Amino acid sequence: MRSSKRSAQQFGIIAGISLILYVIFKHADFGYQFYWGVLYEVNPTYKEIFGYWLLRGLQLTIEISLISTAIALVLGTIFGIARLSAFKPTYYLATGYVEFFRNTPLLVQLFFWYFAFPLALPSTIRIFLNEHNFEFWAATIGLGVYTGSFVAEIVRAGIQAIPHGHVEAALSSGLSRTKMLRFVILPQAFRVIIPPLGSEFLNNMKNSSLAMTIGVAELCWQSQQIESFTFRGFEATSAASLIYLGLSLSISAVMNTINHHLKIGQEKQLTVLDRIFGFFFKPFYFAGKLVFIIVRLFKQTFRLGEYAPVHEEALYASIWSRLAAVIWKWLVYAAKIIFVCLFIGVVFLIAYAVYSFNWAVIWKNLPALLFWTFPHGGAGEIFFGLGGLSLSIIIAGIALFASFFIGLVFGLGRLSRNPMISTPSILYIEIIRGNPLIMVIFWVYFFSPIVTGMQIDVFWSATIAFTIFSGAYLAEIVRAGVSAIPNGQIEAATASGLNYFQVMRKVVLPQALKIMIPAIVGQFISLFKDTSLAYIIGVFELTTIAQTLNNRLMIFPFEIYTTIAVLYFICCYSMSMVARQLENKYSPS
Amino acid sequence: MKRLIQGVALSFCFILLLGTTLCFAGTTYDKVNKDGVVRIGLMYNSIPAAYFNDKNEWVGFDVDIAEEVAKRIGQEMGKEIKVERVKLNNKTRISFLTSGRIDMSTANMTHKRERDRTIDFSITYFFDGQKILAKKGLYTKHEDFVGKKIASMQGTTSEKNAINLLKKLGDANAEKNVISFQDEPSCFLALQQDKVAGWSTDSTILLGYAAKEPGKYELVGDFFSDEPYGIGLPENDSDWRDAVNFAIQDMWTDGTYMNIYNKWYGPDTLYYFPMTEKIEMWP
Repeated sequence: MRSSKRSAQQFGIIAGISLILYVIFKHADFGYQFYWGVLYEVNPTYKEIFGYWLLRGLQLTIEISLISTAIALVLGTIFGIARLSAFKPTYYLATGYVEFFRNTPLLVQLFFWYFAFPLALPSTIRIFLNEHNFEFWAATIGLGVYTGSFVAEIVRAGIQAIPHGHVEAALSSGLSRTKMLRFVILPQAFRVIIPPLGSEFLNNMKNSSLAMTIGVAELCWQSQQIESFTFRGFEATSAASLIYLGLSLSISAVMNTINHHLKIGQEKQLTVLDRIFGFFFKPFYFAGKLVFIIVRLFKQTFRLGEYAPVHEEALYASIWSRLAAVIWKWLVYAAKIIFVCLFIGVVFLIAYAVYSFNWAVIWKNLPALLFWTFPHGGAGEIFFGLGGLSLSIIIAGIALFASFFIGLVFGLGRLSRNPMISTPSILYIEIIRGNPLIMVIFWVYFFSPIVTGMQIDVFWSATIAFTIFSGAYLAEIVRAGVSAIPNGQIEAATASGLNYFQVMRKVVLPQALKIMIPAIVGQFISLFKDTSLAYIIGVFELTTIAQTLNNRLMIFPFEIYTTIAVLYFICCYSMSMVARQLENKYSPS
Repeated sequence: MKRLIQGVALSFCFILLLGTTLCFAGTTYDKVNKDGVVRIGLMYNSIPAAYFNDKNEWVGFDVDIAEEVAKRIGQEMGKEIKVERVKLNNKTRISFLTSGRIDMSTANMTHKRERDRTIDFSITYFFDGQKILAKKGLYTKHEDFVGKKIASMQGTTSEKNAINLLKKLGDANAEKNVISFQDEPSCFLALQQDKVAGWSTDSTILLGYAAKEPGKYELVGDFFSDEPYGIGLPENDSDWRDAVNFAIQDMWTDGTYMNIYNKWYGPDTLYYFPMTEKIEMWP
């Protein structure tokens, strides 16, 4: 009863906010005439309805998201398990994969897959690729590999969350290692990891917007296409944002129901929505059952996996089984040796490729990549012409600092019991989190001149966008941190006569901050990687400089892209080391 | 509750205040005259129009033309005016003008009627046309590109022109076969690695890139569209537009224009592009 009253209140507030916004846009004069008809009317110049373009883009976005999610799931599971392997080369390979791809920006990776990777292939394969929609596959596989590295970490954490006793119990009850993994570990681990996995898939969908940079005509690309044809950037960007928001909300709804359906150990509490979705899951459920029955029939028919009775042919069986064990042992050895050889081979190839780089080019341009023309910038350039890596760091730093306060306000606001405060906070957090960063950048870029009547520098435009974006994520970190403080402390503090702000400042926040620190460092790392997106509106940060240098040199794309990938990696990896140390220092256990 | 209403009212006032005070009133000419600063938008990734050379200096044909125009306007005003260079790309070059971030944009901009709805243009200061660049010896005419992929840059007129050309020649998949990238380097990389059979844009841009690896690329076929470049100017601001137009015409009359032209497109340069047209002159 209470909850329904609350949601009615929330609904009322949302309606109120929309009404205010509507009135503002209808009557306030921004010196800009909104023209939403551009989306559904036939454009007289081009004889097209641009709304259709967005729908075509949406279809491609969904395709890319689904396929790359599947790739990420497969890669993530394999490498996540491999990271726990006792066999060192496997561990090194998996760790290298996870750390490298997590710590470089997706944009740089996509450039690598699309522009640099094909150079390493024979020309016949290259021509074949180019004839088969290579943009689409480069984006999809690039995205899958990137998300896979995050999934791998989630899978690893999920497996490690299983108590070791289960492993011992499974092994001692006679299961082989694969069977133990298949029947005991993975079913439990997947239940643990489904919530983080869901948000990773959501990120994956949002990240698919980066495919626009290599010419894939997905949703974000189409909205910009409409902008460039009609100069109606605000309308096109808003429409695309709404579509992204809808997509995000439906993905999280599906993930929530899956979560509810898979819950074990306690009684299932299914909502109406869950039951409706459950109806769609039924076919999968029956398909799973069917596969299971077929496998069992197959096994029964061929008597696989059954041991011969010991008393009849004990000697015979023991010889054969001993021989089989020996052969198996050697096979494993051989496989390991082959794996090590391949591993060394790959490392050697990479080392050789790096060795044969034109290092003179890299050394000559390194100062430009780090500082650009600082301190000899021209008139009107920010920070005396500073650019490159140092500008990326500055953008991330300013945005993190400013967004921390936004996060604090909205994170606490979301926890407020007053719906007048909590509803706007929820709206801000969910609308921003439901949209790709690239859309937020376009918003700020197209919206700021409409509101303020002037165009701010792209540097500030990008920094504001990063601040707004990261504020929503920090708000969630703050919320989690504050929720982790036992309620008793708040009650005790209130009972001793402190008011709300005193309770927060003196009791809750000092403790919550400690819990939040590793997550904040994590947010800083992803913010730093995201600064590469400022490339799209021409901020002279590292990725833009790389493009500009590449433009002039033209024949050294490998050198340039590898250098910036390494620069990003060094920064992110050292920060994630710090995060790990902090986590160890502040973790409650 | 009361506080909330107060807060909302305050933020309203703030937004309205911001909106009204920052809208610049008066003409660009007066503003430049008063401040002594002209803000010029220039590309940074376009060789040889405007790019960063190996000393990371911002140079090119457009840069020289814009500086010369600014200098002449300053002479007419009777004082030295400072030039502030603002970096532009194909996403920002029109919105920076409409929002007043820059006073003029010298950025490979073809004068188009659709574009003229939101901004104005000076008289044509450079005559270009669209062609297709391809690897040497593979293609001889436009028809050879039917069914093949062509690179272009998103948000440019050459993108639409390339689609129309393929459609006219009977390519059923014209829309799909023209692949749009975000910048010129990406287009050239795609061509270099055979991801596309050709790259189509204004021929001087193509010449600039082809000169990176001499003898490997060639222009195929004739011009298939005229691309008259104009300097982008704020909408409905005729004093300023006159000043820019007169400066361009004066440059042509006293020979400064051809000096700049030959510096970047003359026979001794990597980007040789013979001058065949004439700047529009008003007696």
